[in-house]
Amino acid sequence: MNGKNISCKEVMSHICESLSEEMNSPKCAAIKAHLETCEGCKSYFTSVEMTIDLYKKCTETLSDDVHKKLMAFLELTD
Amino acid sequence: MNEEQLIASAKNGDRKALSELVKKYEQTVYSFAFKVCRDREKAENMMQETFYSMIKSLHQFDGNSKLSTWLYRIVVNHCLMEARKSSRYTFVEQETDESLFDEKYIADWSTLPIKNLETNELRTILDAAIDKLQPEYRVVFALRDVEEYSTEETAKILELSVPAVKSRLHRARAFLRNEITKAFLQ
Repeated sequence: MNGKNISCKEVMSHICESLSEEMNSPKCAAIKAHLETCEGCKSYFTSVEMTIDLYKKCTETLSDDVHKKLMAFLELTD
Repeated sequence: MNEEQLIASAKNGDRKALSELVKKYEQTVYSFAFKVCRDREKAENMMQETFYSMIKSLHQFDGNSKLSTWLYRIVVNHCLMEARKSSRYTFVEQETDESLFDEKYIADWSTLPIKNLETNELRTILDAAIDKLQPEYRVVFALRDVEEYSTEETAKILELSVPAVKSRLHRARAFLRNEITKAFLQ
């Protein structure tokens, strides 16, 4: 893999730290430049984003039954 | 009544106001507990315990933080206590950066058959991966990435420093990503 004064391991570690945050620091600028040219790191970045996305989609909705049990447990009425 | 008025009434013993507060946050609390426990029954218990604690300690709530933040703190504590009863986790803390960020995990995810999987199959893979992650890391991932709290807010809820949140987050993300990759490559 290629790089611009920054290693892929550093990039991966920093991606994990700064994903979805502002990427304005000089280090982040170097990471952005690295990502544009390094397929491996680009793929890693995408996969971390996908991991987060998969967990976001896997949610659980509260059923009426569970709601009623909660209210009964707390001795509250609807 | 707005939330502030509901809290004030509930503190004065208004059961209807209490009921409204529970209804407002039950889905949030249940959904978060499920994301951490990955088990419906446990999530239900955590939710019940959380609201029981809320009712018991509401008089101590000073309004300096949002009620939702306070509830997240309570549900996190209950989930951590529950999760610590089990010791089956892979200790991500003991994994070195070398192993977490090993280049062998840089598989191209566009070639993984993620989209072809049935929801249940995918859920099994996600559950297995998060099940191995230490609870202290799981709650950071769930708050920061899934619930989209900022790093600072996550630190406040968990009473951790910002660097500690960042460190746990990057290790949790890498660990989960690697576990999912391994499941697909098996």
